[in-house]
Amino acid sequence: MNFAQTPEQQELVDSVRRVLVQECPTALVRAIVESGSAPEQPWKSARELGWTAIDLPETVGGLALGFTTLGLVIEQHGCCIAPGPFLATVSQFLPLVCEAGAPDQIERFAAPAGAGELTGALAIDHGRAAEHDTGESLRARREGAAWILEGERRYVLDGDAADEVAVAARVDTGDGVGLFVVPQGAAEARRVVELDASRPLAHLRFDGARVTPERVLGTPGRCARALARALERATVATALECVGACQTLMAMTVEYAKSRHQFDQPIGAFQAVQHKCADMLVQLEKARATGHFAMMAVAEDDPRRTLAASMAKAAASDCQRVVCQEAIQIHGGMGYTWESDVQLFVKRTKTLEALFGTGRAHRQRIADLLEV
Amino acid sequence: MKLHYDAATETFRSELRAWLEVNQPTPEEIRAEPLTSSAHLPDWSRRWQRRLFDAGLLVPGWPPELGGRNLPPVQQLVYHEEMARIPVERSTNPQGLGIIAPSILDYGSEFLRRRYLLPTLRAEISWCLGMSEPGAGSDLAGLSTRAAVHDDHFVVNGQKIWTSGAHHADHCFCFVRTDPDAPKHRGISVVIVDMKAPGVRVRPLPELTDRVHVDFNEVFFDDVVVPRDHLVGPLNQGWSISAGSLSHERGMMWLASASRLDGLLSRLLELAGERGPDGRRIGESAHFRDALASLYVDARAMWFMGYRGFAKFARGEVSPEHSVLKLFGSETAQRAARLATETLGVEALDVDFEGWSLDESRGPKPWMKQYLVSYAATISAGTSEIQRNIIAQRVLGLPRR
Repeated sequence: MNFAQTPEQQELVDSVRRVLVQECPTALVRAIVESGSAPEQPWKSARELGWTAIDLPETVGGLALGFTTLGLVIEQHGCCIAPGPFLATVSQFLPLVCEAGAPDQIERFAAPAGAGELTGALAIDHGRAAEHDTGESLRARREGAAWILEGERRYVLDGDAADEVAVAARVDTGDGVGLFVVPQGAAEARRVVELDASRPLAHLRFDGARVTPERVLGTPGRCARALARALERATVATALECVGACQTLMAMTVEYAKSRHQFDQPIGAFQAVQHKCADMLVQLEKARATGHFAMMAVAEDDPRRTLAASMAKAAASDCQRVVCQEAIQIHGGMGYTWESDVQLFVKRTKTLEALFGTGRAHRQRIADLLEV
Repeated sequence: MKLHYDAATETFRSELRAWLEVNQPTPEEIRAEPLTSSAHLPDWSRRWQRRLFDAGLLVPGWPPELGGRNLPPVQQLVYHEEMARIPVERSTNPQGLGIIAPSILDYGSEFLRRRYLLPTLRAEISWCLGMSEPGAGSDLAGLSTRAAVHDDHFVVNGQKIWTSGAHHADHCFCFVRTDPDAPKHRGISVVIVDMKAPGVRVRPLPELTDRVHVDFNEVFFDDVVVPRDHLVGPLNQGWSISAGSLSHERGMMWLASASRLDGLLSRLLELAGERGPDGRRIGESAHFRDALASLYVDARAMWFMGYRGFAKFARGEVSPEHSVLKLFGSETAQRAARLATETLGVEALDVDFEGWSLDESRGPKPWMKQYLVSYAATISAGTSEIQRNIIAQRVLGLPRR
């Protein structure tokens, strides 16, 4: 196993980091949270610099650099708790379209998304995401050549903003999974008063929304595998964004421990504080290494990819729990204030923990896969 | 970033497997003369290490004259992966081969290399490592065993403790104070002490798990005369040897503990299929499933972190992984054993350890024994607290007090 980034990957990661540090300061995230601003960045950079096309095949204008490279770029987005449609478009919407779509659908939806001209979301049952299951809350039934969607999808990332929403619904045939792409407006969207406004969530209510045949991905009732594979990408991406956010939160905390003085010395000189910092680093190293393994397993279509995706989410879950707890604790009273940036990172990682299956849900999945 | 190695590396792996299949000691050989300490070299062990040496498979990154074949780092890693799969270590005196031989190579005089290096590599002599003292554990630099400096010899007085295999070792690689007036890190030297020299006395120190099979010892030095040419490296520069001696294969040392952790996980998976004290299948318990999955993730993460660290090591970078892996691996193993003992309840109280000996140290032993042994792993070779200090101070740059 070779965990060393190639020089090309290293170069790309460095340039992504430079751009994001420049274009996506924490103040930009704070402005979204505090005043509901809708900045162009960092999506504008992602689009212009081709980050949206990293994991797309060349046949539809992609760069075909693979999921490993995309994962590294997503991790960098996490470091800056970057807002915007990048995560949902490239790691949720695109994988489902590419896994399940016919060539003309990939041309229609994936090519413009890869070019950054179209944003996407993915509406699944987050409570059952670890099991790769559609759940029962949204059903699709056939009506002639079309399909009718009835029910609700809750907590859809960018659900009220994305141009197109890929939807997983329960069908009565075959493996029970139907996959569809609906335009914004096909469902009644209700914005959640969400924990992290820079990761906007919406409930989508489908009251008999009609999906025309060219928007039906694959054959309903024969889509379970495509859903599972797309969810693995989404899960690993979520874990990697979480790792990136934890990296920065830990670094902020260590810096604080060096600069904050009490009892005539930096609090970071106290062993009690040092050991909390060490525990954060251990969890971060664990989550990053596990996330990197998972992105390679997905990229190389290794048989371990399902297990690896769940391991990555479980490790990221452990990491955010320790890092959030110790970051606030070490920042003391300041860590509990609105004005400290700690809260922005904590709320982002707690959001990522809940999306696509919590650590606990993924541990259940791991136990199932190991046939415990 | 790739999951798989290139064809040349996999070819090496196949060749190595085939070689090991033919050349590793047989269970009968091992059973006929079981290992009793970590400096014990039974005849089968001497023959085995010598075969490795002659085949260039003892320290594969070294040149042929030192029992290697100048393998590049990736193939060295594959070597250690394969060696972790067989039931016997490449040397039954691991400190001699892994710590002392590289130190003599790096710091020893031409005389010391000639006299001690090849015999060590060929398993003709065995070693103990004289580091910890009753008054110098975590604070190793506070050691007080004194070596008075004379024109052509030293006179050593003092005491070492936790000295693994001292009762079987031919020589002791011994950290001594040669300048009591210098700051504590600057007055330390390393000398090679003949364990049969007059004035050396060894007292066994049984562990809480086993009163009979002893590995640890206390070693007392009473006016022991050591020739001046048995000084390793410059006088009063011994402290740097304590860190530097670990550097040769440091990027790969985690493999053995990752492999042992895998062994524990396999056994926990087996345990899941058994009936617990309440008569139910253990794997049906939601708590057990969650805890086992968590441990599984951590056991796999050991490997992933190790490989990430190795990638840095191979580029010549310093990586935090050594301390992280030591800390994480020992604490994860402890959690694994604790899960089993708490799940088994009264069943874990049958501690018939009879027949267990060091040569089976990678094999199954009663879970309670495993749990008790895990207490040692978070203490020896740098306690978990010391590892956290190292991570905080050297990796994260927090201030030393």
